[in-house]
Amino acid sequence: MRVLEPWVADPLTEFLRESGARLALVMTSSGQVIAQDGFTRSLDVMSAAALGAGILATTQELATILEAPRGFGAIVHQGERQGIWLAGFDTPRGRWIGLVVFGHESSVGLVRLFFARFAQQVAAAAPVVTPVRDVLAEGFERELDDSLRALFGTR
Amino acid sequence: MSIAGWQDALREVTGVAGVRGALIISAEDGLVIAETAMDDLATADVAALSAALVSRARRCTAALHATPPESVHLVGERGAVLAVAGPAPLWLVAVARDDAELGRLRLVLRDAAGALH
Repeated sequence: MRVLEPWVADPLTEFLRESGARLALVMTSSGQVIAQDGFTRSLDVMSAAALGAGILATTQELATILEAPRGFGAIVHQGERQGIWLAGFDTPRGRWIGLVVFGHESSVGLVRLFFARFAQQVAAAAPVVTPVRDVLAEGFERELDDSLRALFGTR
Repeated sequence: MSIAGWQDALREVTGVAGVRGALIISAEDGLVIAETAMDDLATADVAALSAALVSRARRCTAALHATPPESVHLVGERGAVLAVAGPAPLWLVAVARDDAELGRLRLVLRDAAGALH
């Protein structure tokens, strides 16, 4: 498993164990990879992330046309030997996407069930984002002076 | 059997005392095909987990070179889940309280599952 955000690792590990999924990819809605498990080549990860984000963006537009502003929830492609689950979920860091590949040892129902739990756990585990302070905030000059004094030892 | 026929089968199962809900599920994908259940019963979750149970029972019997299971009966502290095979890939599942008439429920499920098609 590779994770960009360490707090995603535990929920993802639990999801994979419970659902029996073969591969999992978590990414932002723009296709930036957050975490993955099961992919062996980075090229595959990047391609899957870009294609997954594209599919979800496309169906979101389709939903808008069909006057379903909340979208379709999840997209499932069921193949003969394996299926793909693709769904977006909200986190404090914005909307993320999960792409899950599952085989006969799992099912759409199981992936749906445990993916919902995974999304909840990720949302709960996300660290609070510290707001970026205004560079020219009030007191900037005084703080700069304090910093310079601390660095150079002047009074 | 029509959807109305499925609903009749489900009503027959939920007519047994102590049954909280009955579902027809697809064991292949773990999804609900038809259901009659109390509002607080998470039927989609029951379908997913029951299908997983059936799948594992199948793998277990395959490993033992036995015939595939035709029913699965899981008893917990506060209730039970009974699943009976219908025509593939359908399974009829009942969720019952611990005070349910499990013997009668099993007979009703077997009859109703046999009538599914």
